[in-house]
Amino acid sequence: MNSAIEIMMILLVLSDMALLGLSRLRTCISIVSFQGMLLGVLALTMQLSAITPRLILIAAASFIIKGFIFPFLLRRGIREAGAQYEIEPFVGYIMSVIAGLAMLGISFWLGAKLPLFAANTLLIPAALTTLFTGLFLIIARKNALNQCLGYIIMENGIYTFGIVSVAEIPLLVELGILLDVFVAVFVMGIAIYHINREFDHLDSDRLNILKG
Amino acid sequence: MDYEIILWLAITIPAISGLICLLMPSPKAALGVMCAAVFLASLSGIFAICEVLPQGRVLFAAAGWLFMDALSAYNLFVMITVFCLSSVYACIYFKEEIIHKHLNVKQIRLFTCLWCEALAAMTVVLLSNNLGIMWVGIEATTLITAFLICVHVSRESLEAMWKYILICSVGVAFAFMGTLLVAASAKSAGLSAHNLLLWTTLRTNAVHLDPVLIKAAFIFLLVGYGTKAGLAPMHSWLPDAHSQAPAPVSAIFSGFMLNAALYCIMRYVPIIEISTGNTSWGLDLVAGFGIFSIIIAAAFILFQTDLKRLLAYHSIEHLGIIALGLGLGGLGTFAALFHTFNHSLCKTLSFFAAGRLGQIFGSQDMEKMSGSLRISPVWGIGIFCSILALIGIAPFALFMSEFQLLRAAVDKGAIIALILFLLGAGIVFVGALGHAIPLVWNDPQKPTARVKTNAVEFTLVFAPLAVLLLLGLWMPETLAQALNTAADVIRQTGGTTILMPGGKQ
Repeated sequence: MNSAIEIMMILLVLSDMALLGLSRLRTCISIVSFQGMLLGVLALTMQLSAITPRLILIAAASFIIKGFIFPFLLRRGIREAGAQYEIEPFVGYIMSVIAGLAMLGISFWLGAKLPLFAANTLLIPAALTTLFTGLFLIIARKNALNQCLGYIIMENGIYTFGIVSVAEIPLLVELGILLDVFVAVFVMGIAIYHINREFDHLDSDRLNILKG
Repeated sequence: MDYEIILWLAITIPAISGLICLLMPSPKAALGVMCAAVFLASLSGIFAICEVLPQGRVLFAAAGWLFMDALSAYNLFVMITVFCLSSVYACIYFKEEIIHKHLNVKQIRLFTCLWCEALAAMTVVLLSNNLGIMWVGIEATTLITAFLICVHVSRESLEAMWKYILICSVGVAFAFMGTLLVAASAKSAGLSAHNLLLWTTLRTNAVHLDPVLIKAAFIFLLVGYGTKAGLAPMHSWLPDAHSQAPAPVSAIFSGFMLNAALYCIMRYVPIIEISTGNTSWGLDLVAGFGIFSIIIAAAFILFQTDLKRLLAYHSIEHLGIIALGLGLGGLGTFAALFHTFNHSLCKTLSFFAAGRLGQIFGSQDMEKMSGSLRISPVWGIGIFCSILALIGIAPFALFMSEFQLLRAAVDKGAIIALILFLLGAGIVFVGALGHAIPLVWNDPQKPTARVKTNAVEFTLVFAPLAVLLLLGLWMPETLAQALNTAADVIRQTGGTTILMPGGKQ
């Protein structure tokens, strides 16, 4: 079981690096969808000895929402906006991957510092790397769809951190959180639709009328 | 009397009425339902507040998941004031827009629905004992109010909305990370799953929490909720959102949404302080963010040309002042809470005036709006007096709370904080007065006909001003007592009598 968790964590970190280095939006969405499914499985694997209906419900909900519904919404956004690539990011792709490696290093250092109980030494660093990757993508990319992806990745990181360090959060709270994230992506999707219709592009760098 | 139902009513009335608003056939009916919902919810809120504040009782509901102590009661009171005034104002504001066909029935339905839901979400934040649900409430307010910014879809409002939703969602995600860290430390302290995130149990068991985890948690929480509260340097969404939203929405943003986020930080302060051994580590951080916000806001106020942006930077300054008071502790906490009410009332009024004047002149540019007093004496007086109060002119209540804050700083010997606060306040004084005098007293640029105002508008301007003036001159005994009980929830000296949830006292 431990080796399975280890493999999942390595996959999570590798998918983060891929997201940092890729420019094709469709591929990025597929990777984020993969991450979502991975986390659903991880939630079950972590508690393999004590699977409860509550656990299955949470894992299934996040599996479906993050693995299927988010990608569906985002792909529709791409179709409507006709944006296939991030044209000119603030930070280039090679530099992004280098930054990703630095974030990985920082995550390991932080993970060692925090007195958290975790089943495996890889868990906390992988969660933090995912969190930082999401944050980095929001800052370093201009395309609004990419920023929305960054938010989902960041949320994936926090979700991993949650199932790793405090699995006992009450069901109601967990469902509330999932609902909020779901609505957040939904609202961002509507905002992207309006922005595309009004401006004819999704370049958040060029949303610069308001100043001072 | 069963208060459990009353706490539930305060949440469910606006939540259900919001959905009813969507079914209304005409704008008038939708606005009517909205006002009725706000007043009914306020009534049940007031009922509970009357039970909690004077007697210092704590009400519990839903197996300890909902509760109301003096701090939440006081904040609820501020929220009710802001929402009731803003709802009445919204009717006046939108009547104009409906006549000029700027808004159709669909937009009004959506607006009234979201308005009620926003009230429900903020009530959840204030009444929730579970810190996870509190987070859910804050994130919900972000999502619900996002569409309130672009009731009028335009390039500017879409830009403001995108910045708002992205920056706040990311910020609030940080706060969630902080909440998880608190839960992790509670777990290592041996609390059961049910009690993991309950504020009351965390508060009583704060001594046992791991200080390293709690410190890490508080940094995440402060950055996260601080983003939503508009503390510098995470404030960049705030001026855009406040300036682009319709005036009633700006009023609730500034009057209460920012405070709701700051309230979350207030909830964590005693837990952090006790678990780090009263070293005032957390308080110093809060005060630091407060001072930085005051200075940044002061610098931007000097160069504003847009009236609503000017008021938005005032919000950053005043939230900074409240954070500074909170960070000073002791008398500072009392001053911070008093300032919360004063600022909310005054800022609500100033956005009302800015919104109506903006409609009359068709612009928010202060140069184009000069001579407001001649065009509309009532709203001109409203904007002038509220800016005077905001910069801390003597008889108004904001001066009194800032004065108490100065005393708290002197008592604590926080000289650097004192100097920086005075410097910031001085710059704001000069800058804002420089904008306000030509805005009100100059000759109008274009000859415009005088605008008539009715009795309701007259009351909306002068009632808040009268209250601010009265509180500046005389503090009623009951209010002082209520403020002290609420402040004691944050200061760890008092209020430790809170028992385990579920028990009816």
